[in-house]
Amino acid sequence: MSKLIGKGIVKNYGGKAVLEDVDLELESGKIYGLIGRNGAGKTTLLSVLTAQNPATKGSVSFDGEPVWENPRVLEHLCFSRELNQLSGSNANTMKVKEYLEIAAAYLPHWDKKLAARLVKEFDLDVKKKICKLSKGMLSMVTILVALASKAEFTFLDEPVAGLDVVARERFYELLVEEFSETGRTFVISTHIIEEASDIFEEVIIVDKGRILLKENTQELLDRSFYISGHEREVDKAAAGLTLHHVEHMGRSKSAVVLLKPGQTIGEGYDVSVQRPSLQKVFVALCGNGTE
Amino acid sequence: MVNYISNEPIKLLKMAEWEEVRRLNGILTQEKSIYLQIKEMIENDILRDILLEEERAPSTNELAKLYAINPATAGKGINLLVEEGILYKKRGIGMFVAAGAKQRIMAERKAHFYSDYVRSLMAEAKSLGITKQELIAMILQSEEGGLTDE
Repeated sequence: MSKLIGKGIVKNYGGKAVLEDVDLELESGKIYGLIGRNGAGKTTLLSVLTAQNPATKGSVSFDGEPVWENPRVLEHLCFSRELNQLSGSNANTMKVKEYLEIAAAYLPHWDKKLAARLVKEFDLDVKKKICKLSKGMLSMVTILVALASKAEFTFLDEPVAGLDVVARERFYELLVEEFSETGRTFVISTHIIEEASDIFEEVIIVDKGRILLKENTQELLDRSFYISGHEREVDKAAAGLTLHHVEHMGRSKSAVVLLKPGQTIGEGYDVSVQRPSLQKVFVALCGNGTE
Repeated sequence: MVNYISNEPIKLLKMAEWEEVRRLNGILTQEKSIYLQIKEMIENDILRDILLEEERAPSTNELAKLYAINPATAGKGINLLVEEGILYKKRGIGMFVAAGAKQRIMAERKAHFYSDYVRSLMAEAKSLGITKQELIAMILQSEEGGLTDE
């Protein structure tokens, strides 16, 4: 079983720290969700993990071998970046066909048949220039490269951002299908948390350049609660617990709590307890209002 | 989960009810878990004769794809059904609905009917000041074709 391990990763851009001392261990055979606010460092983290970007400090290894400039390792990794209509400040005049040819040349496990099938399925015009593609089409090219790469560890940065609902569902289907058949590891960053949360076996929350949390999605949800009621009762029921995303309205108070082993919500108080969604847990952790 | 499973409105539970659920189910924290929903859906299909006994049940991968969930989660739901003898594995072919599965599910649900429905019905009736006689009258009335709205 392969492992990709990042240790003490620091990344500075012009003196500004984007990643601060990140430790991360990814195992094969899992789908990971990478979530974080804009500017949290998701894309930087993905590019450092896949050796597309050198870390200022720290190391990344794959099965014990360093990733940086190591073709033996890099053949197992694919980071399908978000495509842009611009290349630098100019229009990206490369044709889709050329882009796919480059991908095929760089990715040793490239599945030509699958690529052709997806071009058809997505109805992509490969003769079009990248600068002429719609947002949805750009996303489809990114997804196509990721799936057809057949890399053991595949990283997707915001793959569904430009897609409509129907296309997004199709993407999740394709992803689960590919994962079921091959057991490849996928790391997917997304802002559309709710609809993808059930696909992620583990969720990694990045906040301000640090890993805030990495946990089995179900276990995280199982220990997350949304408490609301009369302020007095909520305070008693949640005594000793860390309250996230506290909101007040008149006499009522609500908050999200993540129970640690051994912790419980106080019994016998007149409060309502609900199960928050992953999105709500994320907002609670990365938003304001922690007490 | 994308669309196929309705997003049930989140059930509001008073702390006391919550404790009750915990006591009765043994595991409170998994009450809403996806894999339990998967388990219940397959059970419902068996109860409604959508899935017949000795027929092949959907595979982990089929469920994962259909509901856009992680195959590990779908597998967890299926394993529960295997443990309860509702499904059984035929090597190399897949999961099958066991003989007597429907009866077993009905017996299991019947055993939980009191705790799942009757107790919460009584609790709500009590807080609204509905008397036992009124409640019985309502039950009889609903059997005769439903309450006419006031």
